[in-house]
Formats: sequence, structure tokens, C-alpha cells
Amino acid sequence: MQSRYRLAKILVLLFPLLFISKSWAIVDLREDFEIEGYIKQMNIIQSHDFFDDAKLTAQRNTAQLEGKYYFLRDGTLFNNWSNNFFDSATFTFLARGVYDSAYDIRDSYDVLNDRGKDEYKIRESFIDFVKAPYSLRIGRQQVVWGETDNFRALDIINPLDLSWHGTRESWEDIRIPLWMARGIMDIGKIGPFDESFLELIFIPDDFKETKVATKYPRPWAFRGIGLQDVGANSILIDDTLHDLNVTVIDGSPSHKLSNAQGGARFKAIWNDIDFSLNYYYGFAQTPGVKLRSAGLDDMGVFQTVVKTEFPRMHVFGVTANYSDDRYTQSVFRVESTITKGIPVSIAPPGASSSLDSNGDGYDTAKQSVVMLGIDRPTWIPALNKLRTFFLSTQFFWRHYLDYSPHMQGNAFYAVEEAWVNGQVVPDRYVSTNDDKIDQDEFVFTFSASTTYGRAGLWKPLFVFAYDPRSTGAYNKIQMEYLYSKHLVFRAEQHLYWRTSDDDVGPWGLGDYLARPGIRRNETVLTATFQF
Amino acid sequence: MNELTPHSLHRTTLYHTKCRGYFYHLLASSVVVIAVALLWVPTPSYASEDQSYQALRNWIDNPSAGAPATPSQHFTLSDREAVLEALIPQTAWKYYFFDDMDMEIAATRHYPAPDDWGKNMAPDYTMDEDGTLTGFTGGGYPFTKINADDPQAGQKVIWNMLWRPGQNDYDMPMVTWLRSESGKLDRIMEYTSVNATYALGDRSLVPGYEEVKSKQVMEFRSPRDMAGAKDMSISYVDHHRENSGWVYMPEQRKPRRTLASERTGELMGMDMIREDNNGFGGKVYENNWEYLGKRKVLATTNVKTNPEFGGPSQWVPHKTRWEVRDTHVVLIKPKADNHPYSARIVFVDAETYWTHWMFAFDKKDDQLLRMNQHFLKYSEDYDTEPPTQAPFIKQDFSKSVGHQVFLHLGETDINAKKPHATMTHCYTNKREFESAKAKQFYSLRNMISGRR
Repeated sequence: MQSRYRLAKILVLLFPLLFISKSWAIVDLREDFEIEGYIKQMNIIQSHDFFDDAKLTAQRNTAQLEGKYYFLRDGTLFNNWSNNFFDSATFTFLARGVYDSAYDIRDSYDVLNDRGKDEYKIRESFIDFVKAPYSLRIGRQQVVWGETDNFRALDIINPLDLSWHGTRESWEDIRIPLWMARGIMDIGKIGPFDESFLELIFIPDDFKETKVATKYPRPWAFRGIGLQDVGANSILIDDTLHDLNVTVIDGSPSHKLSNAQGGARFKAIWNDIDFSLNYYYGFAQTPGVKLRSAGLDDMGVFQTVVKTEFPRMHVFGVTANYSDDRYTQSVFRVESTITKGIPVSIAPPGASSSLDSNGDGYDTAKQSVVMLGIDRPTWIPALNKLRTFFLSTQFFWRHYLDYSPHMQGNAFYAVEEAWVNGQVVPDRYVSTNDDKIDQDEFVFTFSASTTYGRAGLWKPLFVFAYDPRSTGAYNKIQMEYLYSKHLVFRAEQHLYWRTSDDDVGPWGLGDYLARPGIRRNETVLTATFQF
Repeated sequence: MNELTPHSLHRTTLYHTKCRGYFYHLLASSVVVIAVALLWVPTPSYASEDQSYQALRNWIDNPSAGAPATPSQHFTLSDREAVLEALIPQTAWKYYFFDDMDMEIAATRHYPAPDDWGKNMAPDYTMDEDGTLTGFTGGGYPFTKINADDPQAGQKVIWNMLWRPGQNDYDMPMVTWLRSESGKLDRIMEYTSVNATYALGDRSLVPGYEEVKSKQVMEFRSPRDMAGAKDMSISYVDHHRENSGWVYMPEQRKPRRTLASERTGELMGMDMIREDNNGFGGKVYENNWEYLGKRKVLATTNVKTNPEFGGPSQWVPHKTRWEVRDTHVVLIKPKADNHPYSARIVFVDAETYWTHWMFAFDKKDDQLLRMNQHFLKYSEDYDTEPPTQAPFIKQDFSKSVGHQVFLHLGETDINAKKPHATMTHCYTNKREFESAKAKQFYSLRNMISGRR
């Protein structure tokens, strides 16, 4: 079994090589069927102080194959039958195989039991039908709404897989595709609006939650501030340490039609302003925790039963962009949402009867998000005489509309050694929820990119993100080199830093886990063979 | 631990002297080896022609009487002085004259415009003092006669070029090669542009869209790092209104608004700027204009098929068909101080109003910065000698016959200062959209999803 598995893995990785001699671009297997893809090796090296004490934390080998089959075009179905009902129809699939060889290189990963080591999936597979003015895409797919880059306001239809590299990868690769139908009716000009259309999304029963790794030593495990390699096993009540036993009941929505999700978007241009009105009715993708029971049993063990809750979520959003060619030569982007149904914890449970009427330490909150963004192609002749820099900046403001100081998040539990009467108790650990929610949270991002070389084959990118409340910051410095039509090399340095204290902050930007030796600064070296 | 003593210093000096001897020996050997190697490595053998703005002005203003170019002749480098120097703008000599060059000469032909050209024009249009054409909606040339004494003759030539027949309404699969001076291929790109004219004179292709001049959707096919990226741009009848544009990147899975007014940066590593498009793709009111008169030039105006590239760098069309054409020569000087060009000179066909040659000069030294030259084919010749099929799609070229327009088969764009060049083959086929199809195809709706 194991050898067959390994063989399958090798075949997946080598499959694209079959086409090297045939083409360097999209490969036409038939006139109506084409494929493309890549093989990539990404080495992530984490270091405490740059290259001092560096460790290979991931060696992710990826083979991706994408295909498109044009089974209805020019009025002919499967090259055989006449069909004039639809204008065109295609079938698209995107398959990905991943094997992280770091798991076989690092002994310390043995405790992970290969969790996160590999993945073989047909990530996306959908059929597109077009019959003007309607188009319909049915199948497993990604749908992206909004104007933001790499922030969740309206781009919330697909959950994210944060387990292997947080949000630091292209979101195209970490969105979890869902089975859904996406229908669009083109309207065109109507009243004062131009280029208008109406879009409907329907997800019958495919609920997935955002995927987060919690088991150390996965490099992107989210364990909160405190100890990373142990879990809480004790609770301190009145200076007495009790064993802790937590039972978690999975409350994720089951597969039934009443758990359907869906949304609608109207998009149009009004007076050169490209805008959209959005509504999405779904489930929260990160759970809340509802306390079902808690107390000491006859054996003196503190038994806690909690249930994860994924409350229904209403998201109302508006987006707009405007290209100002005259005064600022910039494109302005705006996105704003109001979301009802954000799960929060209430501490201590029963703190306020209005907040926690059931006394279960759980409630939902209303939240607004505003994003202002500016994109500008900018000449900086001192740095590049041939090409402009693409500068893009974004400012986010997240605000809890029904805020209470009792509200807490669910993400960052701090695990600490248990102390009794001033003494550390060996092998006993307690946890506290230190995930304080601020009513107002801000983050600022800036990126600059350009190309160098006679054919623009050198592509540097600089990214900076800063959370003024926690003073956490993140920098990425990247250089990509298009060595040939097949080979692309990339080197990245990710830096996490903070100007004061150890507060992780709501965005976790400067999060270095607050423990020496587990700093998240990374050097990433990637080689891609594309076809 | 070593101490620095006179002895050690002496030893070190001796050592250095000995090393210096080896070094000089090595250096001398290396020079000999490199010199021998250089003799064997083929390098571009360009003549040192003057590529200054003033040299081109002299060439334009003082035409030399070369021998006539007789149809069916094949010109080689030996015909350079006798014939070719009089017919190829001096700025291009450095690239277009090379050892095994082969130019086939065809008879100068008359190429009729579409039968209804000029018959369905809306009559009420004017030209402002700054040379902006107002109220014109296509269907014909805005200016049927160009008078050399007219102070706005230069602008009028360009307006005819900007509204020429055949500039839109096509399927255009393309392959672009980016090459360095040594001929090394740096990058190949495959993409397709689909384009439709909305402003058809007295009507719009899509009723209700009278403000739109044309719409274009362009999608990349390769390399894979660009595959699926697509761009939609809308140009407007009102010349003062900037184009609207969106780009869809598969990585982002959504369209992004783009800025049209930045026209002077090189795009995607190519050796052209947006303003170089078809010789002049900018705003008329942002420039000063001068009409320099008419001049006969050799042009690849009706090539048999997409030409191969030749020359020491493989930058220029080779073994293809040329024709002597009458051109209007227009001098364009950008008003903006920070514009990279001091001047741009375009040679626009006096009958078809397609640009054949464009030369742009560096503001710093008035030397050539960029140039482009275009390969065209008349639609009525598509049945007897069709262009090459694109490597990634097969088209029915008979659809082009009957339209009586020129179709763009490619161009070469050279950046003389890098130096580097971008050569493009366009496998253009005429396409006429029905109103309803155009409305659906050129819509923002079509930009919210893509190949993936």
C-alpha cells in the first residue's frame, strides 16, 4: 500500500515532464482540450536571527495540473451534436499534489504523525455554461468578491487553509474551494448605470471551516502566547490544582439543505465609479465556543464540555473603485462591510446578563470593516528609468458595533506552567484566554513592485504591513527571476517585528510567538517549473 | 599569531612580486584567450550610423535621388547606397542593413477602402485649437485631404490614422519574442486580442453605447506565469476622456481597475510604451505638432505572410515583401517636461493611414530611444496568400476577404538604448460582432472570472 502510494506520488510529480518537449505553454491535447500547470519546490527556512540557528521548516513539493475541456462551442456539442441552446460550455479542473519532504528530513516532526505532510486533491472542478445574457458556473470553485488584497471583508465565501503557511501564500492556493452554483445575469445599461450585472451564489450544503494548525512543531501552528509544545492539563481553583478534562463537541453545520449558504451581488458603473452592492448569508468560518457544562467530578477532575458554534452570519457590503487620471493618476478603492454573527467569548461566563444570558460564555457580535486603498503606477527614475513602480497601499479599520469589554476572541489561549503557592508544579499546565478584543482595530499595508532587466525578467516586491495598536509589523522582500520560459526562481525574506511589548494584536502581523527560538522570520526559496 | 615584521614584510613582498608575475601572466593569457574567443563568437556587426534626431531630419528634408525600386527585384546589402538609403529612414539603417539581407520589392498598389467608407459619417464635427477632434464618430476619415500648408496638417494625419479602416474588428492571436542584442531569446509570450469598433459613424454597434469608440479584450496564454491574465479596455469617442480598463489576474480571481493615463512606462518587459502603439497612441492635446511633408519609404505594407526575422540580432523582418509607399511625415513633440521623448517622428501611409515607421528620440541627448515598424496585409489578398496560422489556434482566414481593409500582421519594436527588441507576429483575422454578442462579450461581467 505504502509503495503504491509513493509511486502515485512520483507519477503525479513527473506527469508534467511528459509534455516538456511538446510545448512550453498551454498544452493542447486535442483541439478542444488543453492543460497547463507547474511543479514547484518551496523551501522555508525559519531563523531566530536571520541565518543564525536556521531550520528547514517546510520543503513543499507541489505539482499542479489544470485542464479545460471545451465540450460545446460553435453550436456543436462534443464535436458531434448540434446544440444552439447554449452559446458555449467548458469543463475546468485544477488538481494539486503536495508532499512536504521536511517531514521526512526532520525528526522533530515525527510527533505530527504526518499531519500536513501531503495532500492530493482535485481542488476545483466546474462546468461553465454561457447563454447570453446568462452565465452559470456549477461545481467546486472559488468566488472572490471585493476590492481588498489579502484581507477578509467581502472575500469570505471560501474559507482559508492557514495550516501550512498562514496567510503568507497566494490566496488562490489557500482558499478552500466549495461546491456551489454561481449564476450571472448581464444587464448592461440600465438607468444611470453602465456595465451592470446581477450575480447569485448558492452553496447547497458544503460547509468548511477555516483550517488552522494547532499542533506544535508545525511552523504555522497557532497556539497563542505562551508555551507552544504542551497543552493545558490542569486548572487552578482556590489554590488547588485539579486535572482538567475538556470534551469538545463539534457543532459544525451538517450537510442538509437548511444549512445552505448564498449571496447576491449587483455590480455596475455610475459616473465612472465602478461599484457593487453585496449580501452574503453564510456561517462563521471560525468557531465560537459555547460552554455546555463545567465542574469537578467525584474524582476531583474538572470536567468541561464545550461545543463549537458556527453561527449564521449576515454580511452586507459595498465596494467602489475610481480611476482618477486627471489629478492624482491613481485608482482609489473602497470596501466596507457590516457583518452580523461574529462569534465571541464572554469572560467570565455570565459576566453580563445581556451579553451572556445563557451563562455559556458565548455570544455573537456585529462588526464593521472599512478599507481604503490607493493604487498608483509611479515613476521613480532614480530607481528605475524604464518602468514605473506599482505602489499599492491599503488602510483597514475594523470596528465592533456592539462592543463590550467582556468580549474575547477564541484564538489565542495562553498555556503556562502551573504555579501553586509560589512553586512551579512539574508537568502541570494551565491556560487562560488572553485574546482581548479591541473595539477598534487598524492595519496599514504598503507594497511596491517593478521589473528590472532588459526584458523585465527580474521582479522585486516589497511589502510592509503595520498594526498601530499592537505595533506589530510584517515585511516581505522578494525577488523573482524568470530564468527561462519554464523556470522561475524566487527568493523571499519575511520579517516579523514589533516596536513595543508582546501583544500579538488582532492581525497577528508581528507575531513571533513570544518565545525565543520560535521566531517566525523566514527565508523562502522557491523554484518553479511551469508549462 | 603572526607578527608583522620586516622579515615577514619582505617575504610578503616577495610573495606579492611572485604573485604579480603570475597575475600578469594569467592576465595576458586571459586577454589572448578572450580575444581569440571573441573572434569566434558571432556579435552584432552594426555600422555606426548616426541615429540622432537631426540626422533623421536631414534625411527627411534632403531626400537623395536613389535608383528606382523595380517590382520583383530582390535588394541586398549591395543595393544599400544606390537604392535603399533613399527609401529607408536613416535612423533604421543600423538594424535593417545587414550582410545577408533580402528585400523583395512589389509594385506600389492602390488599396481601396471599404465600399461604404465615408458614406455613413455623422457630419457635425470640429477640431479645437489644441488639435482635438470633437464630435467625430467614425465611419470614414475625418479629413479626406491633407494640405501641407495647413498648420494643423500634422494633427489631421494622426486623426485619420486613429480612425482608419481596419484598425479594429478582429481576432488577433499573437506571439511576441523578446530578444537581446546578441539575438538571445529572453522571453516568448502568446496572447490574443479581440477588438470591436463601436463608433460606426451615424450609429453605434451597440445602441445606447454612442460614447464608446471601441472595446478590446486581450488574454494571455503563455508563459504560465501570465496565462489567463486578461485585460479589457474601453476607448471613448471623446478624446479628452481617458480609457477605462480592468485587468483580471487568475492569482487574484477578480478584476482590478487600471489607470490609463500612464502611457510612458515599458509594459511587461516589452520594448515599447503604450504611447508607441501604432506609432502614436497618446493624447493629441499633450503634444506639439508639425507636418514635415511627404516622403517615399519602403514599407512592409502587404507582406505575403508573417515575416521571418533576420539581422545579426534577429530583430527585423527578413526575406519579406516591401513596397514603396507615399507617407505623411509628422513630427510630434511632447509638451510635458518629464516625458522621456524629445520628439517622435511618424511615417503614416498617405493612402491607407497606417503607420509604417515610428522613431522616438531620447530627451537627454536627442538620440534614438525607441522605434517601431509594422507589417501589414490587405484583406483581399487573404484568399490567394493567407498569413501563417497561429501556433495555438487555427482560423478561417476566408472570413477576412471582402472587407477591403489592412490587417496588422506584426511589428518590431526596438529600444536602441538598452539595446533590446520585441518582435510580434499577429495572426489577425477579421471579425464582425453582432450587437448582442458584442454587448455580452465586452462587458465587465466577462471580466469577473477567467481561465481559472
